[in-house]
Order: sequence, then C-alpha cells, then structure tokens
Amino acid sequence: MKGFQTNERTSIIEINRKKCKGCDSCKSFCPSAAIQGKYGAIHSINSEQCIFCGQCLINCPFGSISDTVDTVDTVIHQLGNQELTVVATIAPSVRVAIGEEFGLEPGTLATGKLYGALKQAGFKIFDANFAADHTIMEEGSELIAKIRHYLLGEPAEHELGLLPQFTSCCPGWVRYVELYAPQILPNLSSAKSPLMMAGALAKTYGATQIWQVKPENMVVVGIMPCTSKKFEVSRPEFSSAAHYWQQRGSAAHYPDVDTVLTTRDLARLFEKMNIDFNRVEASTDADNPLAQYSGAGTIFGNTGGVMEAALRTAYYVITGQELPLLEYKPVRGLQGLKEADITLKDAKTGQVITLKVAVVHGIKDNLKPVLDQVIAGRSPYHFIEVMNCPGGCVNGGGQPINPMGTSWTGNWKALLPWT
Amino acid sequence: MAHYDYVEKAVTVSRREFLGMVGVAGAILWTGAYAATDLVQDRNKYIKMRAQGIYKDDVKAKVRQSHHNPGLQDMYKQFAGQPLSPLAEELFHTRYIDRTKLG
Ligand code: SF4
Ligand code: SF4
Ligand code: SF4
Repeated sequence: MKGFQTNERTSIIEINRKKCKGCDSCKSFCPSAAIQGKYGAIHSINSEQCIFCGQCLINCPFGSISDTVDTVDTVIHQLGNQELTVVATIAPSVRVAIGEEFGLEPGTLATGKLYGALKQAGFKIFDANFAADHTIMEEGSELIAKIRHYLLGEPAEHELGLLPQFTSCCPGWVRYVELYAPQILPNLSSAKSPLMMAGALAKTYGATQIWQVKPENMVVVGIMPCTSKKFEVSRPEFSSAAHYWQQRGSAAHYPDVDTVLTTRDLARLFEKMNIDFNRVEASTDADNPLAQYSGAGTIFGNTGGVMEAALRTAYYVITGQELPLLEYKPVRGLQGLKEADITLKDAKTGQVITLKVAVVHGIKDNLKPVLDQVIAGRSPYHFIEVMNCPGGCVNGGGQPINPMGTSWTGNWKALLPWT
Repeated sequence: MAHYDYVEKAVTVSRREFLGMVGVAGAILWTGAYAATDLVQDRNKYIKMRAQGIYKDDVKAKVRQSHHNPGLQDMYKQFAGQPLSPLAEELFHTRYIDRTKLG
C-alpha cells in the first residue's frame, strides 16, 4: 500500500458490505474524501486516503462501519499474567463518556469510578492528563523558544521549526498533514502526542522510579476516545524507550505504547471481566505521581483545550505572572474557527508582544481557509490548534455511539420484524 | 454537508415515528438529507454535555496550570532535567514523514 511505513497498520476502519445501505451519510463527515461508492451502492473506504478518525463510524445511521482492531481479549490475557505490569493511560475525554456505556448521562465525570474499575481489572494507572501537562511543558517551551527568536530577536539555542506553530496531539491531524499538506510539516510542533510521551516516559522513568519493574515486562495500553490512535501506536518511530535502554546495554525491542483500547473497547473489557462499573468503589490513586494532573491537562479533551492550557503556561513563562483569568473564553465553544489576541509583556526585556492564536476543530468543515493561509505564507497567527473531530476528542471516533439510546443506530433493528 | 452547529431540526417527527411511517426503503431515500442532520443534532448534544463535564474537572482541580503539576515537576527534577533538554528531545519529541513520497 502507498503512503505507509514498514510495519504500520494499513487499515483500521472498514465498512461492512452486508450492512451498508448506500445512504451516503458517511461522506458528509469524512475529512479526507476516503469513502467511495455512489448513492444507493455499497460504499467502501480507501485506506491510503483514510486518516482513521472514525467520524464516519460514529455517524453511520445503520451501524455499518466498525473499527477492525480489537485487542480486548489480548489485554485481558496480559492482565492475567503475573510477570507483566499493565499500565492504563487514560485520555481526558474518556472520563466524561465511559459512564454512558453503563447508563449514566453524557458528561458525567467518572474519574474515580474509572480508576477504581481499572484497578480492579489489574491495571496500574498513568493518567494521560499528566502527559497532557507534560505536552504543554514541551510544546509550550518550543513555542516560547520560537517567540523569543522570531518575535523578540534573540539568538536560537536549538534548531527551531517555523511559526505559526501547529499542535501535534491529534494523530488524525498529523496523518492529514503528512498525506495532504506535507509542505507545512516544519510548522508542526515536534512534541509527541500525550499518549506517545506517556509511553516513552512509562517505560523509562515509570519503570525504574515508580513501579520498579523491567521495561520489557511492561505493557502500556492507551485508553483513548480515538480510533486514529490505533494507527499512531503502530508508527515504527515510537520505540524511544527501547532505544534508550539499548544505549544502556539492553537488547530488547518493544513499542512505547503496546495497544489502544477505545472508550467502547474498555466498556467491553469491563463487561467481559464482570466488573460492574456502577458498583465499583471510586479510587484516586493519590500516592501515584503519574496520576497527578492539573485542570489544564484535563481540558485537552475539548476543542480549544490545548490552546487554553498552553496559554496558561506561556503567559506565566513570558510575563512572570499567572494568567489573570484562567477560564479563557475566546477559545471555548463550538464555532468552527476561534481566534484570540493575547498581549504579553516580556519580563526579561520589557518588550510587549501580541500573540495571535487560532483554534480549528472539524477538519472536514473548518480547516481549509486557515491551512491555505499558512501554505501561502500569509497566516496572521503564531499558534494554531487543530483537532480533527468536531468538538475535539469528546466527540472522537472511539467514543460511545448511542449514549442515551436516542441515536437511531441499532434502534431501527428493533422496529423491523425481518432483521 | 454536515455542520455540527446545526440548530434547526429539519424534520419534526422522531426517528422511531419516521422509520415507522416510511420503513427502511423510504428512510434510505431520505437519509442523505435526514440522517446527517438528525445525527448531528444528537452528536451536538453529547459534545456539549461531555465538554461541560471536562470543564467541571478543570474547575475542581487543585492545580490548574501544567507548570504547577507536582508529579511533573518531580519528573523533570529527577529525570529529564527540563523541557527541550537532550533527553527530553530524545524521548518526548518526534519527526514527521512526507507520506506523498512513500512508495
Ligand atoms: S453511512 Fe453507513 S450505510 Fe450509509 S453509505 Fe455510509 S457506510 Fe453505508
Ligand atoms: S475514518 Fe475518517 S478519514 Fe477514514 S473514511 Fe472514516 S471519516 Fe473518512
Ligand atoms: S480530535 Fe481527538 S479523537 Fe479526534 S482524531 Fe484527533 S485525537 Fe482522535
């Protein structure tokens, strides 16, 4: 197949030929025109074009689309192996959606139950919210270095990418750039996504300093709202921990993150293991440093969240003061493109700069004008957040589909005697 | 095209009533216009409810800025030094690929 590296997954999202009604709805959600088939005919997905975001999947009215990577049984098996330490890395938006699979209202914050259920299943916890904070430190420092060099005229210490800087946490977006806009790769932040940072950190620092286990006996499982993450973990460059240990004499090979379970997959895992989510005792994991997170880490799940989190820290680093109003409204909400200007007084030199930022979510409908400006070299912005899914990861392709039983996916079967 | 900020309901019957009335064949004829808008209504509702849950988590957090995460501060102290240090570059940063050039 074209456009894949060796050993990468080449297919994640597939249409079931037997179920597809040819209604064409999926096409209106696909950001990359990867779906083929005329109205009325059976549709199919071209994996070479697909970014694996799963937006077609969660929106197909006939439930004809599924994610073909199912590692629930593998993970259950690994949990039963005493030799292995299985670490769950939970994305921000899973905690507000998992409850829907067990009858709770959408948006119910279920962090405590989730921790409790994961512990009961035998997982150790490395909250991806910690990794989101970590991402802000790395990606924010990169942005600040660019501001100091390009806007304040200071000499650069490292090799720097270009402004505007794009966020890089969303693997759907990263694959989109690699496939459809490679000319802006130098604008993409070099910071790994929170999940991939978590994997690399878990199998180095986590293994030695937190859990005292051998990294090769660790299994890192991303618990994600996202089907595109199933592709991301298969990218061959994400084996930094193994590489780190190889330089220190080890011969073992392993990926930083072993597998991904979506929110839906995790609900199935709990069911298979007879863990009653509603009865589980809540837990905090308070003595685990890798389960600590800030409010900035958690808002990564929403469109505008990465930007808001980054501004809280960039403002502090440049001005020496905390952002006066933490709830930064201009980047919140569901408008397709959100913009903000933020004026900063550099504590070191006294210079005043105005940072222009933009937030895009829903590549399908909202990306084009912003991307065209950058490609043409006349973007007014310094920092741009992009998340593929409308609303951000809260609406990711791995999230519960039929939360309150109101979506007609599945329900139509109940109405029709011959199905 | 499916716009997530859709507010008006295109059809006023419920899905159940609709399917009951027209059956699958009718639904298929309609779905291009109907399914997308109606699904978007539902998704929009979930997006908003889940987003509120996330903002609640932020407000109730003891620490609200990444640079004040104590566990993260310890990690830099004991392990990676500081953001963009050589070890941080090795473990926490990556490179991208122009996929149009891959066979
Ligand atoms: S939305 Fe579902 S049923 Fe309709 S064409 Fe796409 S895959 Fe087929
Ligand atoms: S997974 Fe995303 S990119 Fe792939 S076909 Fe579905 S909507 Fe399109
Ligand atoms: S917005 Fe979130 S859920 Fe959607 S593709 Fe990107 S990372 Fe995955």
